[in-house]
Amino acid sequence: MSAMKNTRVLRDIKARQGVLKNEVTRRAYLYVARNTTLPPQVRHQAQLQLNTFDKYTRPTTVKNRCSETGRGRGIMSEFALCRFQFRLKALSGELNGVRKATW
Amino acid sequence: MAAAVRALPSQLKALTRLRCEIFQTAYNPRNLRTGAKYLRARLRGPSMAEYYPKTVNLSQIAREYPELGIVDEQEAQRMADVEDRKRRGKGTPKKAKKKADSRRAAKKR
Repeated sequence: MSAMKNTRVLRDIKARQGVLKNEVTRRAYLYVARNTTLPPQVRHQAQLQLNTFDKYTRPTTVKNRCSETGRGRGIMSEFALCRFQFRLKALSGELNGVRKATW
Repeated sequence: MAAAVRALPSQLKALTRLRCEIFQTAYNPRNLRTGAKYLRARLRGPSMAEYYPKTVNLSQIAREYPELGIVDEQEAQRMADVEDRKRRGKGTPKKAKKKADSRRAAKKR
């Protein structure tokens, strides 16, 4: 089954790639900006640099979405599936180690 | 039996410093914010980037390996259709350079 890629998923992929690419530089600027032992001017410059980064380089813009349907709510991150897709896949035995509980 | 010896504050300080030296941790007695946690934390990018399972599609392969000569027929047909439409004067309109050039402004006039 091919996974659906709607705009939101594509945007999320873009954000993930942006985070991956800029993470090290962002961390370096964060270190300088949050370091209270450095002169305030330097820290301020670092903060200004941080503000120039693209929106899609911030880790907080990344949202786990369903890899099958692109749904953004009710996601089980472990399987990258929304609750209904999780149920479907689990019942059809596609998820290892997952089985329906009965008691 | 030896009596318990009370350590002086200066001795405790020296002990902490020595401990930091031995275990290679930063000596920061005043608990200043040094931003070390941003350097210490693991990078989250690599695991974030591989959240969605990789998908394979034809056009992607064709783009990466042009020497294979793979043609995405659907895409080729689409491009041909676009060319055809352009020839008949039904292509996408030019982007307006100024506000006055827009179709909306033309309608108002």
